[in-house]
Amino acid sequence: MFIQHIIGLFTNPAVEWEKIRDQQKSGGGSGVGFVFILAAIPAIAGYIGTTQVGWRIGVGDPIRITGESAISIAIIYYLALIIGVFSIGWVIHLMGKAYEVIKPLPLCIALAAYTATPLFLIGIMQVYPVLWLNMLLGLPVLAYTVYLLYSGLPIMMEIPPERGFLYSSAVLAVGLVALVSLLAMTALLWGMGLQPVFTS
Amino acid sequence: MTNNETYNYKVVRQFAIMTIVWGIVGMLVGVVIAAQLAWPALNFDVPWLTFGRLRPLHTNAVIFAFGGCALFACSYYVVQHTCHARLAFPALAAFTFWGWQLVIVLAAITLPLGITTSKEYAELEWPIDILITLVWVSYALVFFATIIKRKIPHIYVANWFFGAFIITVAILHLFNSAALPVSFLKSYSAYAGVQDAMVQWWYGHNAVGFFLTAGFLGIMYYFVPKQAGRPVYSYRLSVVHFWALVFTYIWAGPHHLHYTALPDWAQSLGMIMSLILLAPSWGGMINGIMTLSGAWHKLRTDPVLRLLIVSISFYGMSTFEGPMMSIKTVNALSHYTDWTIGHVHSGALGWVALVSMGAMYYLIPRLFGRELYSLKLVEVHFWTATIGIVLYIASMWVAGIMQGLMWRAVNADGTLTYSFVESVQAMHPYYIVRTLGGAFFLLGTLVMAYNLWRSISDARPVEVEIPAPASAH
Repeated sequence: MFIQHIIGLFTNPAVEWEKIRDQQKSGGGSGVGFVFILAAIPAIAGYIGTTQVGWRIGVGDPIRITGESAISIAIIYYLALIIGVFSIGWVIHLMGKAYEVIKPLPLCIALAAYTATPLFLIGIMQVYPVLWLNMLLGLPVLAYTVYLLYSGLPIMMEIPPERGFLYSSAVLAVGLVALVSLLAMTALLWGMGLQPVFTS
Repeated sequence: MTNNETYNYKVVRQFAIMTIVWGIVGMLVGVVIAAQLAWPALNFDVPWLTFGRLRPLHTNAVIFAFGGCALFACSYYVVQHTCHARLAFPALAAFTFWGWQLVIVLAAITLPLGITTSKEYAELEWPIDILITLVWVSYALVFFATIIKRKIPHIYVANWFFGAFIITVAILHLFNSAALPVSFLKSYSAYAGVQDAMVQWWYGHNAVGFFLTAGFLGIMYYFVPKQAGRPVYSYRLSVVHFWALVFTYIWAGPHHLHYTALPDWAQSLGMIMSLILLAPSWGGMINGIMTLSGAWHKLRTDPVLRLLIVSISFYGMSTFEGPMMSIKTVNALSHYTDWTIGHVHSGALGWVALVSMGAMYYLIPRLFGRELYSLKLVEVHFWTATIGIVLYIASMWVAGIMQGLMWRAVNADGTLTYSFVESVQAMHPYYIVRTLGGAFFLLGTLVMAYNLWRSISDARPVEVEIPAPASAH
C-alpha cells in the first residue's frame, strides 16, 4: 500500500498527495506504520557502512567502528529518525492553529512521514560512506523533499497554496532547527565521552 | 492642517544606491576569497590579493559598507515617516553620507595594503576610527533630533531598535578602538592580554547583536508590516523583546573565548547569557512571521514577501544555532572550524542581506516614484539567493564537523591521528561547494541590481510632502 504511495510521490506527487489525504480522511488507511520499516534503511546501511566499508578522511587507511559500538549507534539513529518524523508531525498539528486549519494528528504525521520518504530511501547510500559523494547524492534528494513538502502541505491540509507556502516555510524552519539540535546534541554527547569506538 | 514641508529623500536615495553598489563589491570579494580557499593559487602571489588582506576587506565591505548603508538609508527613511518630520540638520545628514563613503574608501585602500589594527571587525587604524566617530556622532544627532521634533506622541518600535543600535555601536566603537598611536598608520590597543581579547569580543559580538541585529530588526519592524499591508502582530511583544534583547546581548561576548585564558566564570556567564538570548531573538522572529502570515493572500502577487519570510526564518534558525554553539561542550568541537563560518553566513546572508534587499525593493522604486520593473526577476533573485545560502550552510556544516572531529582524533598512544594539513586537504570539495553557494548569492544580487536599475533608470528623484498626522489613534 505505502509502496504505491511512494512510487506515486515520485511520478505524480500532486495526485498521490490527494490519494493519501483521502485515504486518511476515510480512515481506511494503514496510517504511518511504514515509517518503522523505512527508518531502518539508513540505520542498517549506516551500520554496514561504518563497520564493513569504512570511510576515509583525507589520506590514510579507511576508518571503521567496532560492531558493538556501531549497533548501539544504529539503534539510537533509528529511534532518532522515528522520533523526528513523529515530532515534526506533531508540530505541524500544533502550528495549524496559527494557520487556521486544524487537521487530525495522524494526517499531520502522515504528511511528515511521506515528505521524508526520499531521505529515508537515499539513506541506502550510507553503505558507502564517502562524504562528498553522499553530499552530491543527498542534495538533489533533499531538494526533492523540500519540493514534496511545499507541494504536499496545501493539498493535505486543504488550504490555498499561498497560505500553504507560509505554513510549509514554518515547517521547514522547524526541520532546520531540529537538524541543528541534532548536530549540537551529537557534539555534546561526543564531548561527554560517548563517542564511537574505532577499530585500530 | 496642511503641511508643505517635504521629506528629505536625497540622503536616503544616496545611501540606498550605495547599499546596492557596496553589496555587489563586498559579495564579489567574498566569492574571490572563497575561491582562494578552494584553489590557493588564485592569489597570484600578489601580497594585496592574499586571503589575509582580502578577508577583512570582505567583512568590512559587507558589514559596514553594504549593511551600514542599508541601515542609514532605512533608518533615515523610517524615522521621517514614523515621526512625520523632515530629517533634522540636513548638512550633518549629508556629512554622514559623504563621511561614511570616505571611511569605506579608506578601508578599501588601507586593508589590502596590510594596514590593520588586527582587531576583528575593527581593523581600521586610528585616523579612520576618529572619522568614524565623527560620522557616528553626527548620525546620532540627526536621528535623535528628528525624533525630538516628531509630530506624533509615541515613538514607533522600529525607532527604538535604531536608537539602541546607534547608541550601543557608538559606545562599542569608542571603547574597543581605544589605542595608543605610535605613528600615523600604526597604533597599539589600550588593553593588554586577555582584557584586550575580552574587550574585542564584547565589541565583536555586539557588532553582531546591535549592528547586524537590532538595526535590522528596526528595518523588519517597518518594512515587513508595510509590505504586508498589516499592523505588527503584537506591539507588546515587540517592546518586551526589545528590552530583553538589549539587556541580554551585551553579556554574550565571552562565548567567543571558551577555553582560553579568560576566567572560567566569565566564559560560563557568556554561555548562560547566550542561551537566554534565544527567547528575545525568537520573540522578534515570531512577531515578524505572524505579521507576514496574515498577508498570505498577497504572496501570489508579491515575491518580495517571500524574501522577507525566508529572511525571518533564517533569523530564527541562526539565533537558535548560536546559543547551541555557545554551549561549552559543543563549542569545544565547533570553535575555530567552518561550522562558525556557516553559522555567521546563515545570519548574514539569510537574515541581514535578505531583509535589507526586501527593504531596498520597497524603498528604491518609491524614492524615484516608480513601480518595480519586474516581479519575475524578484522571483529569480529569491531562488538563486536561497539556493546559494543552502549550499553555503550545508557545505560548512559538513566541513566544520569534519574539521572538529579530525582535530580532536587521537590514536591509542595519545598522538594526533591527523596532521593539520590533512584536515585542510579534506576540506577541498566543501570549499568548492561553498564558493558555488556564494556565487549563486552574488548572482541573485546582480539580478536585483539590474531589476532596480531598470526600475529607476529613466526616473527623476521625487519629493514627497509630509502628511499631517492623524489626530488620534
